[in-house]
Amino acid sequence: MARTAFLTDATVCIGCKACEVACKEWNEVPDDGMVWSGFSYDNTKSLGASTWRHVLFLEQPSVAGPQIADTKDPFRWIFLSDVCKHCANAGCLEACPTGSIVRTEVGSVFVQPDVCNGCGYCVVSCPFGVIDKRPDDGRAFKCTFCYDRQKAGLIPACAKACPTQSIQFGDLDELRLRGRNRVQELQERGYKDARIYNPEETSVGGIHASFVILGEPEAYNLPPAPEVPTVYLKSAWTSALVSAAILVAIVCAAFAF
Amino acid sequence: MKSPSKPKATEERLDEIREAALKAGSAQGPQTGESYYGLPVLKAPVWTWEVPLYFFLGGISGVSACIGFIAQLFRSDPAFVRVCFWIALIGASICPILLIADLGRPKRFLNMLRVFKLRSAMSMGAWILVAFSNCAFLAVLCFELILRGLANPFLISLLWLLEGSAAITGLLLASYTGVLIGATAVPVWSQNRELLPAHFLTSGLGGSAAILELAGFLIPATQVLGFVASGIETLIEIFLEVRKRPVDVPLHHGRSGKALRIAGLLEGPAALLVRAFLGASHTGRYAAAVCFLLGSLLSRYAWIWAGRASAEDPHALFNLQRKV
Amino acid sequence: MAENHPVGFQWVMEAKEQHGAKVIHVDPRFSRTSAVANIWVPLRAGSDILFLGALIRYVLENELFFREYVEHYTNASVIIPEDFKDTEELGGIFSGWNAEKKSYNPESWLYEGVERDGRTQQTAPGGTQGGHAQHGASVSPNLNNYKQDRTLQHPRCVFQLLRKHFARYTPEMVEQYCGLSKDAFLHAARTFCEASGPDKTGAICYALGWTQHSSGVQMIRCAAILQLLLGNMGRPGGGILALRGHASIQGSTDVPTLYDILPGYLSMPKFGEESKSLADYIAKYGARTGWWNNLDKYIVSLLKAYYGEAAQPENDFGFHWLPRITGDHSHQGYWLDMLDGKMDGLFVMGQNPAVAGPNSGMERRGLGKLKWLVVREMVETETASFWYASPEVKRGELKTEEIQTEVFLLPAAGHAEKDGTFTNTQRLLQWRQKAVDPPGDCRSENWFMYHLGVILKQKAKRDPRPRNAGLLALTWDYSTEGKHQEVVAEEILQEINGRTTGNGELMQGFTSLKADGSTACGCWIYSGVFPKPGENRANERASRDFHGHGWGFAWPSDRRVLYNRASARPDGKPWSERKKLVWWDAENKKWTGNDVPDFVATKPPDYQPPENSVGDAALAGDKPFILHADGFGWIWVPVGLNDGPLPAYYEPLESPVRNPLYPKRQSNPVADKKTRPGNEYATSPDPKFPFVLTTYRLTEHHTAGGMSRTLPHLAELQPEMFCEMSVELAEQLSITPGQWVTIVTARGAIEAHALVTPRMQMLAIDGKPVHQVGLPFHWGYSGLVKGDIGNDLVAISEEPNVRIMETKGLLCNVIRGKRETNLQAIRDLRPEKG
Repeated sequence: MARTAFLTDATVCIGCKACEVACKEWNEVPDDGMVWSGFSYDNTKSLGASTWRHVLFLEQPSVAGPQIADTKDPFRWIFLSDVCKHCANAGCLEACPTGSIVRTEVGSVFVQPDVCNGCGYCVVSCPFGVIDKRPDDGRAFKCTFCYDRQKAGLIPACAKACPTQSIQFGDLDELRLRGRNRVQELQERGYKDARIYNPEETSVGGIHASFVILGEPEAYNLPPAPEVPTVYLKSAWTSALVSAAILVAIVCAAFAF
Repeated sequence: MKSPSKPKATEERLDEIREAALKAGSAQGPQTGESYYGLPVLKAPVWTWEVPLYFFLGGISGVSACIGFIAQLFRSDPAFVRVCFWIALIGASICPILLIADLGRPKRFLNMLRVFKLRSAMSMGAWILVAFSNCAFLAVLCFELILRGLANPFLISLLWLLEGSAAITGLLLASYTGVLIGATAVPVWSQNRELLPAHFLTSGLGGSAAILELAGFLIPATQVLGFVASGIETLIEIFLEVRKRPVDVPLHHGRSGKALRIAGLLEGPAALLVRAFLGASHTGRYAAAVCFLLGSLLSRYAWIWAGRASAEDPHALFNLQRKV
Repeated sequence: MAENHPVGFQWVMEAKEQHGAKVIHVDPRFSRTSAVANIWVPLRAGSDILFLGALIRYVLENELFFREYVEHYTNASVIIPEDFKDTEELGGIFSGWNAEKKSYNPESWLYEGVERDGRTQQTAPGGTQGGHAQHGASVSPNLNNYKQDRTLQHPRCVFQLLRKHFARYTPEMVEQYCGLSKDAFLHAARTFCEASGPDKTGAICYALGWTQHSSGVQMIRCAAILQLLLGNMGRPGGGILALRGHASIQGSTDVPTLYDILPGYLSMPKFGEESKSLADYIAKYGARTGWWNNLDKYIVSLLKAYYGEAAQPENDFGFHWLPRITGDHSHQGYWLDMLDGKMDGLFVMGQNPAVAGPNSGMERRGLGKLKWLVVREMVETETASFWYASPEVKRGELKTEEIQTEVFLLPAAGHAEKDGTFTNTQRLLQWRQKAVDPPGDCRSENWFMYHLGVILKQKAKRDPRPRNAGLLALTWDYSTEGKHQEVVAEEILQEINGRTTGNGELMQGFTSLKADGSTACGCWIYSGVFPKPGENRANERASRDFHGHGWGFAWPSDRRVLYNRASARPDGKPWSERKKLVWWDAENKKWTGNDVPDFVATKPPDYQPPENSVGDAALAGDKPFILHADGFGWIWVPVGLNDGPLPAYYEPLESPVRNPLYPKRQSNPVADKKTRPGNEYATSPDPKFPFVLTTYRLTEHHTAGGMSRTLPHLAELQPEMFCEMSVELAEQLSITPGQWVTIVTARGAIEAHALVTPRMQMLAIDGKPVHQVGLPFHWGYSGLVKGDIGNDLVAISEEPNVRIMETKGLLCNVIRGKRETNLQAIRDLRPEKG
């Protein structure tokens, strides 16, 4: 099977949260707490074990491209549906010691819930802060890319529900091309700060769920230069082995007296 | 409105964030600036109290095996070697229980052995612990059998092999935990990934020597190891105090900063000075040993707390990556 | 629209992103629609007619109107009698005002030349007038007797009167009193006007931001005038889309749950001369010319559907069995009766007045005056639990033991558990199939009403009083199926579609209906939805063109754009190739095109009606608006509205400023404030209530929250009640973002979190800062997430034509802190409440 992907476009998102609800309904994800945040209309706040699509609400003191809003100071309200990035080099997958997290034939990163024993290592290995452990269940959960739906020839629930096609689903290469074209079109229309978020040049190697955003990734809590933590292994193990060698020398010296 | 599934901290944390936003700019509600409402990007570690305790015990028991093996190499008192490996065995018995207890699904602990993944420090750690536990157990078994008069060339060779294996796997056990947290997305951990294995190993060394002293082995070797360990810890403490990278804020501020400083002082200068000035007497050595052990234990907790604080700070991540 | 019709909004996004359409959003708050619009202009809640009137003036002064369209298709050229006086001449009222009755005699609004026979006398508000059927089902038989000036120059032609009427609605006035900048106004006006003409069209979409006002109908009238001037009515991509308040509420006015209309927008008869006999009724509501001449066919067919064999020519087809309106039986009308102890019982089905009603606190008290209350719901709503869980009971103001109402809570089936149709905002009937059986004792509305009817009819058999004759005569013979004996819903749809009474054959459409009792039809506008056995057109799901033909059934007769004759020129050719919709096929001598023509198919464009024609034959071939007796689109409404032939600007019932245009007429003189203890008003302006309050909805919740605050996946999206205020207001009141605040009006006080945001703008009105505070109205005291009830703050008031309440553009005050910490402050603001 070809690799499938998401392209989520903030510029046509209307913040309706149908994606959040459709995902939860299909995947039987429990509610994530009834806490009012005061952060615009976002009471979901972040992805997590029980939130696999999260709509962000950015209120920013700048103009959205050519939009005219009759306000005293420039202003815009941007929405974006965040999701697991299904990284080409996935921190969670590399870290998983049970082999629960695997790469599927559609290129997604999938947690097998019957294998996961809740060790929590994936949680600190995700450079995007996506995967988390569900406290009352014990296992780690994240977006499954609706693997069950894809196997049955359907599209993911969030993409299906999105009324404005902000969430697009399809072939990875095609969507990457579409994303680039969209950004170019937006720039031509006056959205000078439109960009694609798809960190291909870092060790993550590109993500299968890319985004069209306006402005800096930090405003969306997207890391500007995410790394897959396996890049840290070499220097850490080197330090461990060198330190161990030194320790052996010290202990030998202590007993050589 | 509190939800039963979310901890109380969440509502209070939101109030904190709103207060901070308010201080940042008049009465305006939180707006996204450099981060998304100051909310964390990364997920905080979910490990509970068992894990730092495991780091502590694993360090001691791992290094104990190494000490025991090298002691035997240099023909030390067999009673000493025996205790070293018993410490290794006791540690190796408790450690798996701690780890299993920390799992979300403890009954599935054997799934740790489904794969052997060099790229996963935790996978390596699971196998290291299995190997170490088995070697320590078998080494002690052989040792006890030999002590009870079943010595024969095969058993003695086996003993050497097992002790050697326990020593090697023990060193890995004591140091891999530094790699474990160093090779994660948590900024304060990943940016200290060379320091951590060295520090955990040193801490294990001093801790092992301290346990041996408390067990009654107030021999020159343990004194030397005690001095060296607390000496290195002192240098580490000075290094941490002097180096002031933004990513290291949790090492100096907040609960984790305070704890780490106290731990560093206990493991380092305090243990060193007590041993230097009072180490001649038994009480002095006991005091230095206890000092070190307390610091060593606290240090593990402090590093985990630092990881939590670091993961919850979006600016730590952004500052790091914007420099890149 | 993005907030409340997100799925429908995808077409707006598609138009914008793929076809370059411009989206202009006018709203007091910057909502999710504003975020993706090309232009957003803020507006002081309630000042819409000033804004819209200025747009009309802009079109007129800049000669941007679609001349040919206006001349031929609207009554712009019609001449109005000399004794008509405009609001500009009378300081804010039209001619015919009766100060004592607080109503108009609208005879001077009729066209010159039309006979005045005294039948157009309006009754006072609070009387029996209900406006939903006052569509110009003309009460004057000779409305077609007008005089015209096709040059539009005559000083008393509608066009010139329009000019004079809106002359003072200038961009400067808009800037000063609506709160948006002149530049923004002109930009929006220019953009919208550019999207009109032969090659382009623009649409206006509105929702409750217009309807829930004391001049709501007149706001919509402004849009109608604009669209007629710009030539957008009856054309693809044009028109006015009324975005209804929730799913299938269009259906609940088509086959109505409203007190003043019968299915298909026929009028409910009123007690009096007009309804002594069927002939009187038809004389009153039928029209000599235009399509409503067919009224007799529709009312008779409806009566045959109701009463079957018992309805015969000899007994006026059972007309006297229909109830008569004797007063204000609207929601607010009867609720006040309820409060006065005049009602015994109430069925509440699929509605939650304890939260959604205006002055909901007062409405909850009203519930306690009933002897019995039946609530049919899927969950225990606030209406069902008022007697023990309402704030009044919790605060000790009412005691459960003292509430005598016997409450029956009956479980209802959900929408996937029953067959039926939805009719949504675009007049589209869509069949829904039952997917699962309802659980336990839950039953559908059809089941409930049917079996209740069976029991009542059985009781009526034993009770020979004349009052039961109608009940006994009702046809009530649906088939039932399944273990629950559920009504076969398709039979109801077939009854609505209509049958010939002789052989029971299904009707093909309403043009086949007769007034002689040979046809029966439950709702004439729906006729054609089920033309053959097995052909349920509401269940079709194969769309074959971009208008959607083949998907569902749009009444009437699957016309997707009403009045689409106007999409062609007077000569029958399309205005442009780009915007062609229907046109005259000269060869085959019929109208054809991409939509079902909303016109008699064989009437040629150059048809001239012979002398003394009646009905549709009395309308020429260039008159698209066939339901009007004159066939014109009405820029001027000669008959049917209670508060004027043209929209005049009035401030809302509570306002921070005096009416700048008509200082002597602050608010709509015909609106009924229903002032009484418990339903007080602030003064305009009022130093105690300095801020403008508007209420609205969020995407995440549905109306009173019964269906959303009870579901965890929706409840968690917006868990708590909040109010939105500007940064400036928060600073002024020292309010920390997120903290609890108390919002007080003359009716009530509630608490909410303060969401401080630049999306609410401080406006400069008449040189002074005016703050607006916004409140979603979704919360109540049951469900997974609870909160104070926004509508406790709203007054019970009635717009003159349709009796709807004003929920936006009220006055309020905001105090820091939770309600219980502010009790003294609340008392100070409302001393009369104690």
